[in-house]
Amino acid sequence: MANLEVELGALKLKNPVLAASGTFGFGEEYSSLIDLEKLGAIMVKGLTLKPRQGNPAPRITETPAGMLNAIGLQNPGLDAFLSRELPRLIDSHAAVIVNIAGDTEEDYITLARELSGVPGIVALELNLSCPNVKQGGILFGTSKMIMGRLITKVRGICPIPLIVKLSPNVTDITELAHAAEESGADIISLINTLKGMVIDIKSKRPLLGNITGGLSGPAIRPVAVRMVYDVYRSVKIPLIGMGGIMNLDDALQFFMAGARAVAVGAGNFVDPCAMPRLIDDLRSYLEKEGLQSVDEIVGSAQI
Amino acid sequence: MLSKARVLEIRKVSSNCYFLLLEEARIARESLPGQFLHIRIGESLTPFLRRPFSIAGTSPENGTLKILFQVMGEGTRILSMVQKEDRLDCLGPLGSGFSTQKAHNTSVLLAGGIGAAPLMFLSEALLREQKKVIFYYGASSLEQIIPVRSFFPSEAEVYLATEDGSAGYRGFVTEAFQEGLNNGLKPAEIFACGPKPMLQKLAEKNRDWKFPMQISLEERMACGIGACQGCAVTVQEKGETRCGLVCRDGPVFNWDEVVW
Ligand SMILES: Cc1cc2nc3c(=O)[nH]c(=O)nc-3n(C[C@H](O)[C@H](O)[C@H](O)COP(=O)(O)OP(=O)(O)OC[C@H]3O[C@@H](n4cnc5c(N)ncnc54)[C@H](O)[C@@H]3O)c2cc1C
Ligand SMILES: Cc1cc2nc3c(=O)[nH]c(=O)nc-3n(C[C@H](O)[C@H](O)[C@H](O)COP(=O)(O)O)c2cc1C
Ligand code: FES
Repeated sequence: MANLEVELGALKLKNPVLAASGTFGFGEEYSSLIDLEKLGAIMVKGLTLKPRQGNPAPRITETPAGMLNAIGLQNPGLDAFLSRELPRLIDSHAAVIVNIAGDTEEDYITLARELSGVPGIVALELNLSCPNVKQGGILFGTSKMIMGRLITKVRGICPIPLIVKLSPNVTDITELAHAAEESGADIISLINTLKGMVIDIKSKRPLLGNITGGLSGPAIRPVAVRMVYDVYRSVKIPLIGMGGIMNLDDALQFFMAGARAVAVGAGNFVDPCAMPRLIDDLRSYLEKEGLQSVDEIVGSAQI
Repeated sequence: MLSKARVLEIRKVSSNCYFLLLEEARIARESLPGQFLHIRIGESLTPFLRRPFSIAGTSPENGTLKILFQVMGEGTRILSMVQKEDRLDCLGPLGSGFSTQKAHNTSVLLAGGIGAAPLMFLSEALLREQKKVIFYYGASSLEQIIPVRSFFPSEAEVYLATEDGSAGYRGFVTEAFQEGLNNGLKPAEIFACGPKPMLQKLAEKNRDWKFPMQISLEERMACGIGACQGCAVTVQEKGETRCGLVCRDGPVFNWDEVVW
């Protein structure tokens, strides 16, 4: 049987299919639908130090082949995560990656310090790319210098693998990827949502309470594949690719572009079984193609 | 929680509303009045998200359930074209239902437009509990009215209101109900579902009336199960406000919980 295990530097996963942050809550919501243990890992909802209320409604709207969201990082905060959500996740035998966001460097550092020694957490993902809150990372994710300094500081106190999630809302994503690698990131995940907007022509007002939101789903897939392709050629650290993945064919594009693992986001809303199915389909694909592991296709589309 | 339901019947019941009879034994067995299904519209990428619809009634013995829906946009337009024997991918039943307290005897159900759907299901449950059900139903005009008398159990007392006066009381359903109160109607409990302005109006009025009242809200949804935090509504509890989720904490809320 083909081996689905992957190694992203020091991060070993039983398979390369992950739940994208913010689309899978803290796992519990999906536990009656799928076996959480089967997933490569769960990247939990963006966590901040203190609880956050999030943005005014409406927070989501559908778009062609996708959706806009402006949740605003609503989450219960670090303490509630540690006391309530994490134990449940550990009970379900899921591999947990915590996505962290902050308003200041201090926030990120405190979160990293509090989380990185906790049993059950296999990696941290720095969210430097949420487009829906004023600080919430985007500030850190669009300037090479500010980002580099933050990653260096977090790296210094974080003994577990450090993933840096990049924003697509920049002129040249490879520059930021490069800066992330230089500053000590172990893994890069991309892409976060693309900033977008919908106007309700009846009321002549923006449809979302937050005015703008982040676009995700199949609509952004070609952009995401291109960015993975570009970043793969400019850094040596492994990549987690995401953006509009619904099934095996979509995921294969990301592997071929250079991702060593993939994450499913908005696809979970449409088909809650998308990830377990993708894992099974990936195994069948490798067997059919006579491949030993996904490593054999990673970056195979590079010319 | 995820099932393929078989379409047994689809029928147009007003100028823009459809009745859908589905067969899915588990959902028929588990559903409670006020709960909803999150239905995938076709297999293609547009429309992308599932669409939430209230369960309008079940028959656990036959393994069937009813949906009433109004064509609003692309998703419901495509749904109106399903055919007998098609399969619909349904997530649910989801959300919390209405709670029916044994003590209260006369229940008044107030519906605006397609808000009648969850109340139809509720009326069956209330009648089973031997309660008196009075149903006020409002629509904008005669042709928009779904034939509630054929959908509602015959024991329920039904009052109609149309905004243009083409059937029943001329005006809003809230006004028709107010007239009922003026004429001596004494509801023990109110259940309401309809457009937001109607529910907001009711909540305002209820500051004077002070009836026990549960309302069913709508909000745009992605996951439908509490994972994405997309369907937020501001709720208050003992003076403190917080974000509630329509899909998980609702869609049914107490009237004084919601911050408008
Ligand atoms: C808990 C709940 C129960 C509902 N029960 C019923 C029912 O029994 N019968 C019925 O006809 N309708 C019901 N609705 C409303 C129904 O979900 C919308 O009319 C439908 O989603 C519109 O889809 P569309 O593609 O036709 O419209 P579009 O406007 O094209 O939809 C665009 C997007 O907005 C969302 N949206 C638009 N209007 C609403 C709305 N009022 N509420 C929530 N999301 C909306 C859609 O789901 C979609 O994601 C219910 C909504 C909720 C939240
Ligand atoms: C509703 C919603 C909430 C999200 N919340 C977060 C978040 O808290 N942190 C984060 O890093 N990314 C968040 N994302 C971005 C996703 O993790 C992912 O990067 C993006 O949606 C692209 O993947 P997709 O097209 O498969 O959804 C969110 C996306 C959605 C749709
Ligand atoms: S729709 Fe996702 S939390 Fe309610």
